[in-house]
Amino acid sequence: MDFFKKFGLVILAGAGILAALIFYSLNIPHKRNANFVERGVMMALSPVMKPAARMSGFFEDAWDNYFNLVGVRQENLRMRDEVKGLNARIVAAGETALANQRLQKLLDMKNSITIPTLSASVIGEDVSSWFRTLVIDRGSSDGIAEGMAVVAADGVVGQIVKVSPTTSRVLLLTDHTSGISATIQRSRARGVVKGKAEGLCSLEFTTREEDVKVGDMVITSGIGGVFLKGVPIGEVTMVKRGEYGIFQTVSIRPLVNIPHLEEVMVVLREAHD
Amino acid sequence: MIRNLTALFVIFAAVVLQTSVLPVHVATPFKPDLLLVAMVYIALRSSLGAGALTAWSLGLLKDVFSGLYLGLNAFTFLIIFLVIKSISDRLYAESGELFVVTVGAATLVCVTLDLILLVMLTSSPGIVYSMAADFLPHLLATAFAASLVTLLPVFSSPQEVL
Repeated sequence: MDFFKKFGLVILAGAGILAALIFYSLNIPHKRNANFVERGVMMALSPVMKPAARMSGFFEDAWDNYFNLVGVRQENLRMRDEVKGLNARIVAAGETALANQRLQKLLDMKNSITIPTLSASVIGEDVSSWFRTLVIDRGSSDGIAEGMAVVAADGVVGQIVKVSPTTSRVLLLTDHTSGISATIQRSRARGVVKGKAEGLCSLEFTTREEDVKVGDMVITSGIGGVFLKGVPIGEVTMVKRGEYGIFQTVSIRPLVNIPHLEEVMVVLREAHD
Repeated sequence: MIRNLTALFVIFAAVVLQTSVLPVHVATPFKPDLLLVAMVYIALRSSLGAGALTAWSLGLLKDVFSGLYLGLNAFTFLIIFLVIKSISDRLYAESGELFVVTVGAATLVCVTLDLILLVMLTSSPGIVYSMAADFLPHLLATAFAASLVTLLPVFSSPQEVL
């Protein structure tokens, strides 16, 4: 008994190791088949393993997707910024192309005028609705004086009326107080172009006998010394000859698109020259 | 001092808005008269002396950026100011509706006085037709601008502006 007490643990351990070795050696020939132990454990754990695997997959997906989404959101924001930047560049490029066209036309007009001119940008309009004036970004410090003619690429715009050192106001040809000596290009009939309501003009003091037709081009006559001779003013849109009276009523649509005017040229010649 | 500077800034902003910003986005007849709105506001909430001078100055400022006749709107603004001032004690100045109605009436008087002065003292043929044609949209736009002013927090405060 003493022997077992002394070496019992060693004998038990040795027997266990031997049994394990035998168990292992017995299973070597059946290495591809599950024995009862394997089958039992697998059966016992299968109901838990399935949902655990699913849950684990779910959490793995969620984790991965979260990180992916963080990346996608950042990428999305970056791409939105890029799209904004590209759109702004497209708009700027379009604007530059349009400005180029306008300035090219203005340059053509400048080249056709022999007298020195000064280009200016429109920076404001009349604060009231019934007067027609513009504010430009050039003034007396640039050599501008009251009475000078203002033209655009398409034709006459008006006349300088009030000048400060840095800005000037232009009385548009459509204002009621404006008057420009004009000629019908085709028939050389003369009159005075005066401003009317709704952005139109009228040719006044043209006698009933004068030959004026719808579609005729009206140009400056050069009389008065403000405008050069032959600058386009507008097109005749209506002619009315009454039964009585000396003059005919002629309506003119200005060639210059005044509501969308952005650049003009001031002819640097004073009226009395 | 700060109140006066704020008032000056508001008037400056109104002029810039009316000359350079609104014309780009709003058709000509629908241009509101922001300076007139400011003048009516001042007329309802200021002393006679400082207010009269300010009203005249606002009209003069409008003339600088409008038409050819310096002093035209200065005169009409002063007249309108004095009329409003004479009855402002009997008006509930904090009422938004009343303010809009007063601005509407002031617009009508302003246009009428301008027209009378232009016809009597200047050679402006056809101006009657233009003013008549554009009056209604101008009145509506100005009244709308006045209604926006009533939404500002400063409108509810009863203190004097000048």
